[in-house]
Amino acid sequence: MRIDTHPIIGRIEKGRMVEFELDGMKMNGYEGEPIAMALKAAGIQIHRYTSKQHEPRGIFCAIGRCTDCVMIVDGKPNIRTCVTPLKEGMKVQTQYGVSAKPEE
Amino acid sequence: MKRYELIIVGAGPAGLSAAIEAAKRNMQVVVFDENSRPGGQLFKQIHKFFGSKEHKAKTRGFIIGEELLVQAKELGVEVILNATVIGLYREKEVCVMQDGQLVHYKGDNIIVAAGAAENMVTFRGWTLPGVIGAGAAQTMMNLHGVKPGERILMVGSGNVGLVVSFQLLQAGCKVVGVIDAAKRIGGYGVHAAKLTRTGVPFYLSHTIVEAEGGDHVTGAVIAEVDDKWQTVPGTQKHLEADTICIAVGLSPMSQLVRMAGCETADDPRKGGLVPVCNEYGETSIPGIFAAGDVAGIEEASSAMIQGRIAGLAAAERSGYLEEDEMSALFLEANSSLSRLRQGMFSHANKGRTDLTETDEGYRLSASLLSRGYVEDSEIQEFPCAVSHTPGVHPVIECTQNIPCNPCQDACRFGCIRVGETITSLPQIREDAKCVGCGMCVANCSGQAIFLVDEDYDESHASITIPYEFLPLPEKGAAGTALSRSGDRLCRAVVSDVRSVKAMDHTNLVTMLVPKEFAGSARFIEFEEG
Repeated sequence: MRIDTHPIIGRIEKGRMVEFELDGMKMNGYEGEPIAMALKAAGIQIHRYTSKQHEPRGIFCAIGRCTDCVMIVDGKPNIRTCVTPLKEGMKVQTQYGVSAKPEE
Repeated sequence: MKRYELIIVGAGPAGLSAAIEAAKRNMQVVVFDENSRPGGQLFKQIHKFFGSKEHKAKTRGFIIGEELLVQAKELGVEVILNATVIGLYREKEVCVMQDGQLVHYKGDNIIVAAGAAENMVTFRGWTLPGVIGAGAAQTMMNLHGVKPGERILMVGSGNVGLVVSFQLLQAGCKVVGVIDAAKRIGGYGVHAAKLTRTGVPFYLSHTIVEAEGGDHVTGAVIAEVDDKWQTVPGTQKHLEADTICIAVGLSPMSQLVRMAGCETADDPRKGGLVPVCNEYGETSIPGIFAAGDVAGIEEASSAMIQGRIAGLAAAERSGYLEEDEMSALFLEANSSLSRLRQGMFSHANKGRTDLTETDEGYRLSASLLSRGYVEDSEIQEFPCAVSHTPGVHPVIECTQNIPCNPCQDACRFGCIRVGETITSLPQIREDAKCVGCGMCVANCSGQAIFLVDEDYDESHASITIPYEFLPLPEKGAAGTALSRSGDRLCRAVVSDVRSVKAMDHTNLVTMLVPKEFAGSARFIEFEEG
């Protein structure tokens, strides 16, 4: 999913490759890029499930406006992953409603 | 409470241009922006801009953004990022959310340059991951180097939909179609034509019925709509797609001016609710200005001029600029703005469907509006597209009055003339000799110029096309020539590839095709791998 070399922009400058976790799984991404981009590049599309209908949601606006892509990041829910820079060792979790685990 | 002589909301093209003008006059300026990077949407604009030299035509948006940032920095403009302006009051006070705290500022002047928000359409499955805004696609691929998907359906054929579709191709995605409920393509014909000739199909009078998929998009269902915008039973089509991109227009972000109590008006030609402004962009509250998309949806080129005007007016208001100097500068900027606001796509002509001729009296191509390319029979109407000067010469498939003239400046030999009115169609001057340098091909922001030599040798014509894709072919590579409509015509062999700095990544690929295709071959496709 990553563009290796772009015909106009050339190589897009990125930070160093770091490890982070998604729901306990080890993932890789570039430091400083939005969390959502690291997930997208890894083929992850579902960021959360809505509380009532349990519908999946993912990236929609990618500029921090729509809040569709919020997840739990380092224990904090409702973090807009499209505008939150990735840091080494971050623990990212799929959000169910406003919490981490599916409600019974 | 901190006080500034000028507070600007938004560090996009309008806000930065305003800041630069005011700071040049020694005003104390601060710019707040909610994003972590300044520049607004400019850094996602990787295409060459339209207009003329004074509007930075043929320069790519992100380069313009870099230039503005350098200028603002040199002038000492304070740009505060990650700062969301959440309140604007009549007394010219603003509340800014910074680091989780609300900070209160007062300005002698305020310029609201908050930009626009994307419009959306709803349909079955529209909340599925894989349905994204066109802006999101640009952010992913052009800022972060991540493909939004592999197979994309674009909903909306305005300039945003067309430009982003082309950028998707450049990022290596396949665009499975561009649909629009309207009968006619909304954006510039040249933008549509450069998609069609690569094989992207247009579906006009079509709407999206459903995004298919369980937990992410796996396909799309589209259907024809009638004159009352209702879907026509039995016309449903399934398209294989993993991403559906929505580009159905923009709305001015006029919440702040509304909150301050500025008089507003609903103007569909400007994209919705906008503040009522005078010629300087000043709202009904003296000292509060609006510039850029907030004041009416337009291009970044006009936003920059509006920003400059508002910045000058604020400077004059605070005594940093004499009235006569101000009016001279205003007249200059305003005439630059009106040169951009002419032609078929101006506010005045927006939504008009009764235009049948260009300003020059040539019959407009109906096929361009409904299918995305000018038909062979229609192209004959345009002298600039059918010149038959012996030897190599430009063929200009520019058939609508849009504000753009870099082709005229590109030719050092005076072969191309647009004239004073930059929306005029270019003319090819038969008395000037084309040397085949190709600068016109590279500098045409609409990628509508080709160099053609009908008599390259006994049996071949040579056609030089603009090529902004990777991998760049090598001399001798064989491919398939495509027509304006994207149909495969014949085998083509690359005879030359040119790429120099002045062309700014618009490479020139020259292909040889059998003579009979000199007037129709306009793109070359290579086998993958």
